[in-house]
Amino acid sequence: MFYNIAVVGFGLAGRLAALELSKLHHVTVFEADDEQTPNSAGKVAAAMLAPLAESVLCEADLALMGLDSMKRWPGIIAELESEVFFQQQGTLVVAHQQDKGDLQSFTQRIKPIAGHSAQALNAQQIAQLEPELANRFNQGLFLPCEGQIDNQAFYKASFTMLNKRKVKCVFNQRVTIKNGEINNRPFDYIIDCRGLGAKSDKPLRGVRGEVARLYAPEVNLTRPVRLMHPRYPIYIAPKPNHEYVIGATEIESQDSGAATVRSTLELLSAAYTVHSGFAEARLLNIQAGLRPAFSDNRPEVSQVGNVISINGLYRHGYMLAPALVAQVVSRIE
Amino acid sequence: MQTKDCLTIYGEQIKSRLLIGSALYPSPDIMTQSIVASGAEIVTVSLRRQQSAAAGDDFWQLIKNTGLKILPNTAGCHSVKEAITLAKMCREVFATDWIKLELIGDDYNLQPDPFALLEATKILINDGFKVLPYCTDDLVLCQRLNELGCEVLMPWGAPIGTGKGLLNSYNLKTIRERLPDTTLIVDAGLGLPSHACQALEMGYDAVLLNSAIAGAGCPITMSRAFKGAVEAGRFAYQAKAMPEKDVAAPSTPTMGMPFWHQQ
Repeated sequence: MFYNIAVVGFGLAGRLAALELSKLHHVTVFEADDEQTPNSAGKVAAAMLAPLAESVLCEADLALMGLDSMKRWPGIIAELESEVFFQQQGTLVVAHQQDKGDLQSFTQRIKPIAGHSAQALNAQQIAQLEPELANRFNQGLFLPCEGQIDNQAFYKASFTMLNKRKVKCVFNQRVTIKNGEINNRPFDYIIDCRGLGAKSDKPLRGVRGEVARLYAPEVNLTRPVRLMHPRYPIYIAPKPNHEYVIGATEIESQDSGAATVRSTLELLSAAYTVHSGFAEARLLNIQAGLRPAFSDNRPEVSQVGNVISINGLYRHGYMLAPALVAQVVSRIE
Repeated sequence: MQTKDCLTIYGEQIKSRLLIGSALYPSPDIMTQSIVASGAEIVTVSLRRQQSAAAGDDFWQLIKNTGLKILPNTAGCHSVKEAITLAKMCREVFATDWIKLELIGDDYNLQPDPFALLEATKILINDGFKVLPYCTDDLVLCQRLNELGCEVLMPWGAPIGTGKGLLNSYNLKTIRERLPDTTLIVDAGLGLPSHACQALEMGYDAVLLNSAIAGAGCPITMSRAFKGAVEAGRFAYQAKAMPEKDVAAPSTPTMGMPFWHQQ
């Protein structure tokens, strides 16, 4: 069947849904912001694909869904015409000597999922994986199944591809979804990917996150590194061209205003303790975003009539969105 | 007039001797379920990083919905001025004059700054606040805070989030003995229900904890465990423990046993 489908919200879930559905159907995208989608959590994010590390906080079924999404990403990227950096070389987890208790408790809480587990590392093994971290850490963990993606490139490439497929994207229009129609215009299906834009309809809350992007030519890390720390746990995600994303704070706040000095100091100080090469890095930007979350911090795919909603991806957008969008597609098929 | 065995906080009678924090849970749902399972009647809340009163409202609403008494704290404050500003904001947002006064002196182990604490306590009490100071287990500091008018003192068991238990039980016992009429709550550093039990056994009126529950593998179950431990410790204190002895005393008297049965 060929359907006339509206995708509302052009964040990560909206883009993935539009890409997938426009292969077979006529798709129109509606977005409340301009084409830069400055309020999209997926744009600010570090785009880590970390089901093992996240299993410390989320349930095992979500971690499994993360593994499923991981398998889907290469295919999604392959269908785009411009290059989008995707990597699956694992994550390195380290802690300073005085914080080894935090590394231990993190290790204990990792849930082994589908045969994937964490490997303990000593100083020598850390140095083999990341030579520039030699002699800095005595203990660490390796999470081999994990990866990451360049989300800025994905945002650009997905828009280019949708334009090529002649998907109409209507920007700067906050629409209302009512009686299975958008602004009284009928569609066969409406995919509601509004994130916090759906707050008036769903019990969502925003969880603030702040993320720094650096240009650090003196730093040569080849895979994401997580630092365990009692107060400032961070990750460092190396992107192409010596760019590094340092993230992220997690604050129970709806405030999407600019990053605070305190958060900036925490993120950058913690990064500096991992690699002193960050001292001379250039600060490209520090952004703040709001993660849409339900009170159980679990995502939800729900359907009322012809309206299918994906929401509540919280801090797991890149890890879960491909699998969730696949659920939406299967409902339509 | 106190009729049941209650904890007194600035004249209010509280049945549960467990005060619980609202940070670090895997999700707000698990937080609310853990709070309910703990049986606590007082929940601590931090206003520090929500940027504005409206910005944190969704999260606070979840806590307000539990219907429990809210004890706002000044977690993360380093100066007297910061703590006072935040205490005033808390009074507005949560409509309470209770404040858990937390003033950090050392960033690494989050040790309270005793000097700033005294200064801020004086100012806040003059401003009508009912101050519950988070302090170290120093007797003289506790006495000074008490003299300033604090009816509740909250010495630490160990640094925040370490889970080490009561590191200096001698100090804690001394404070208990010397301030018999002050409500004393062990705040911070507990990891196990047995730590909470020990605090109650030695006569502390209550414990306040967060990480030990929020950071447990199953926070809701750990919450129940702490509830039981606090009750056990309180009963033990009321029951007055037998004195410790250095020589074994058999519980079945041997007097009268046949000679051939003795060595």
